[in-house]
Amino acid sequence: MSDSDPDAELIERVGRQDPAAVRSLVARKLPRLLALAMRMLGDRMEAEDVAQEVFVRIWKQASLWREGDAKFDTWIHRVALNLCYDRLRGRREDPRDELPEVADPSALPDARLEARAQDERVRAALAALPARQREALVLCYYQEMSNIDAAPLMGITVDALESLLARARRNLRAQLAGSGLSKDKS
Amino acid sequence: MTPERFHQIVQAYGADPRRWPLQERAAAEAWASSHRAEADAVLSDAASVDAWLAADNIDPPGMALQQRIVERAPLRRPAARRRLWWSGAAVAGVGLLGGVAGAFAVSFFVLTENALPLHESSYLTSSFGGTSADWSGE
Repeated sequence: MSDSDPDAELIERVGRQDPAAVRSLVARKLPRLLALAMRMLGDRMEAEDVAQEVFVRIWKQASLWREGDAKFDTWIHRVALNLCYDRLRGRREDPRDELPEVADPSALPDARLEARAQDERVRAALAALPARQREALVLCYYQEMSNIDAAPLMGITVDALESLLARARRNLRAQLAGSGLSKDKS
Repeated sequence: MTPERFHQIVQAYGADPRRWPLQERAAAEAWASSHRAEADAVLSDAASVDAWLAADNIDPPGMALQQRIVERAPLRRPAARRRLWWSGAAVAGVGLLGGVAGAFAVSFFVLTENALPLHESSYLTSSFGGTSADWSGE
């Protein structure tokens, strides 16, 4: 596996304010960032706000970016996760503790209705996980990061990452079995 | 690969070998092949969670969001800026030349106190009005 950053050339062009590079970067990274924030926060509007904020920081930093310690993709994941945690911390002081509101399902055809309902069930189960378990699962499963990339991004060892992943899956399986959350905290 | 490690890998990363740690993948797959019944029990348990996770789909970002993000990027406007630079330089150059020529003319008059003749007929005649050298004598 090559250690070179696959985004390095594109970021260098973004740093030179190349309009085509800016559009390419948005097309390449926005779906990933939006999905990450959506699964961490469970709220589309908040996830879009987070994604926009990440790009504001990218625009500020692009001309200063140097290929080196961290991959660009790892850096933007860290920025996005920090922004998500800021919002999750804000929610603790917010008496609203329910899941975010969802679109009116009555307007959807049956197949899409069922798919939407399934999405909501999975998202509710993810939202019910402790944040660090959710983060580990989102990074490794949905963002398809390797354990070697995800562990340092979370500031933990690979062993600790595996422990979080296993506990997250146990909690989800408990929900899947319809036994509610026998939540394994931490 | 030990049975315990195989269980740990599947419990953490799921049933799909493509998600297993790269450095242990081959050994884990080999272990599963040689311990099929035990491996299948662990794998089917994890596969049900995998299938459930895979059912979650996020709608792709809309055009409006993409547009808002792109609009906030500092973008180079190469053609417009270069034209502006050249036209500005041209105006400045012409102005400078005019100033130098004017200063030269004024200093010339002051030093010589001898204005150039007001008219030099060959300058004032047009091609329509006849010229001082119209070969009429020829």
